[in-house]
Amino acid sequence: MTSLLGSMISTLGMALRYRPLIGVSSQVSKANALFNPELTTVRFRYHADKVAKGPVPRRHGYEEKLFQSGLLPRKVSVDKALPMPTYKPKNSWNEKRALFGQNDYIDILGPSNEISQKTLHPTQLLYHVPPWLRGVQGNEYQVLLRRRKFVQKKGYALGHPTKWATLNTRIKKLYTYLNHKTKSPFWKHS
Amino acid sequence: MATKIINKTVTELSLRITRCFFVPSKTIQTNATLFQERLETSITNVEEQLPTTIRPPLPIIHSRKLAFPPKFKAPRQVWVSNMDTVEEEKLGLIDLHPEVFAERPRVDIIHENVRWQQLYRHVSYANTKMRYEVRGGGKKPRQQKGSGRSRHGSIRSPIWRGGGIVHGPRSPTPYFYMLGFNTRLNGLRSTLSAKLAQDDLHIVDSLDIPTDDPSYLEKLVEERGWGPAVLFVDDNDIMPLNITAASDSHGHYNLMPVYGLNVYSMLKHHTLVLTLAAVERLEERLLFHLNRNDAASAGQKYRLDSV
Repeated sequence: MTSLLGSMISTLGMALRYRPLIGVSSQVSKANALFNPELTTVRFRYHADKVAKGPVPRRHGYEEKLFQSGLLPRKVSVDKALPMPTYKPKNSWNEKRALFGQNDYIDILGPSNEISQKTLHPTQLLYHVPPWLRGVQGNEYQVLLRRRKFVQKKGYALGHPTKWATLNTRIKKLYTYLNHKTKSPFWKHS
Repeated sequence: MATKIINKTVTELSLRITRCFFVPSKTIQTNATLFQERLETSITNVEEQLPTTIRPPLPIIHSRKLAFPPKFKAPRQVWVSNMDTVEEEKLGLIDLHPEVFAERPRVDIIHENVRWQQLYRHVSYANTKMRYEVRGGGKKPRQQKGSGRSRHGSIRSPIWRGGGIVHGPRSPTPYFYMLGFNTRLNGLRSTLSAKLAQDDLHIVDSLDIPTDDPSYLEKLVEERGWGPAVLFVDDNDIMPLNITAASDSHGHYNLMPVYGLNVYSMLKHHTLVLTLAAVERLEERLLFHLNRNDAASAGQKYRLDSV
């Protein structure tokens, strides 16, 4: 409705400018200009024309604080530009990136044992993840408990005494924090 | 050179599979292999005239039996091309199962699958020290009262510069989660259907090419209007030597066995090229999962240490 009104008003402006009003009462002419089925609004401004003239400025009023032109910062005494690393674009098609995600659907597309119908699972292929962390979904407390379970058998306490102590301290602190300072999640309240 | 090529295609996994699961490879008896006369000379220079392949009258491949015949959807028909020559020669027309290749593409499911692939293997090793882990800070810096300055108990409290971080990242943080079995299954179906619908899926009889020259592949892909990046999928994970050598120098031409196919790779590569054997295997696997009796047990939630 507002656009219709706007178009009417613009039509009114154009009509009053370009139509002769001799011999016609101003009231009638105004009414004519407001609603006249013979008149129609025509688009005469296009965003494409504005863009064609040059780049349309964005962020009006914003002052860019980074250097856009001129000499790079340098030590005046040495008169040598400060070192900047040369830009090297990443290779999107190196082996790792090109074959990313391979074998993620091995349990669906891989061969299955004819009797038991067991297949490989993608969690069995997480070679770059620590073995105790493969397929683990949990918060820090759960992850640390699992780590302690895996590590204590191998004599971790003898080989890494500080880390073993830190691990146990962290578990103790998390236990007290989670059980004495925080409430259980809403789904655990009976 | 030879070892480098082998390492590219024969993965640790494939060796495990060939050792653990013996699955007799199904080869399709195409008439092309029986009647084709080809000169078996080794040619390294592409500019020399390649021997003209003599074929019987087309179509060579003209029928394919679909497992679990579709009742309410019409099978989709695709041309089968060759890889022997740079110019495309259509060897025949085959049917593709609509349940696999003509499913309405669900963009939200495709997105879920891509997100899962990116996240489930991600582990964040970012770590910050708590106040009791930062070196020092056991002693009270100054007397409680009398100095006129603010009171403190430790120089490593979180309000101090150089102090511990309270709720910072704790290494290692796993972002693992398992997407539902059917969501992943439907992701594969949606992506394959989208690829076919957008003319980015091509079927070839086999991946045998006459030379190991990388420019042969370039010319072939350019001639046929296949996308800049092409993913070649075959049933077997040990690929023919020529195509392996030709694609080795190009990072955007990649070879994959059927079990390695995934939504992310299909979207990363512009064109997907499947061999007939790959189509058979792919359809067999997906239709098996769609029509199995014990789908409930297969689609159960993943439990840690259950695999």
